[in-house]
Amino acid sequence: MKVDKAVEDYFLNPPPGSAAERAVEFGIDLTLTLENLRLTPEERVRQLDGFIKSVAMLQEAGRQARPRNAITPKRN
Amino acid sequence: MLHGSALFTKDLDVCYARSQGNLERLARALRSVNAKLRNAPPDIPFLLDAETLRQGLNFTFATDVGSLDLLGEVRGVGFYEDVASGSQRLELFGYSFAVIELSKLITAKRTAGRPKDMLVVPELEALLGSRGMDEEV
Repeated sequence: MKVDKAVEDYFLNPPPGSAAERAVEFGIDLTLTLENLRLTPEERVRQLDGFIKSVAMLQEAGRQARPRNAITPKRN
Repeated sequence: MLHGSALFTKDLDVCYARSQGNLERLARALRSVNAKLRNAPPDIPFLLDAETLRQGLNFTFATDVGSLDLLGEVRGVGFYEDVASGSQRLELFGYSFAVIELSKLITAKRTAGRPKDMLVVPELEALLGSRGMDEEV
């Protein structure tokens, strides 16, 4: 999806005092937001769905690779 | 996420109208995806019908197609009519969806006030700012 140049600038070079600048200061990576805006809403849903499935597959692979009687280290 | 946020959760929030006809359609749709109350002991009886939905307001379900939060009221915004008003129509996978207005979503997140809600507020405000280019600045 085509993103307006002004919107692109807003995210990549947030104007002083803008909400975008506050978001960056908060720790938000607005380049990811911009990438998302380049997708259509339907593409965003598909991408999220693919991501959730990949994470589930990784979790399952991790479970299967772990020896049955393995002791999980305690977290401090 | 539909507004462009790169932060997301695994569940889908749906705000529903509480008319009798809609509650019946909703109960039918929920049964078709085997909806069960999330985090409820399995031995607690739960009859998924229009009457049960009418007696409650907000529900959290686990379904065959993922987690679903069914909201009769969105705190800080209101009921279905308040949420639907000003919503954005989106065509997705051949269906038309009403997506909550960005400013109302921010209000809802701020009202909920949990860390996971507050985390997304700055990005949502930046998205809102990008639409008006921070006219207030």
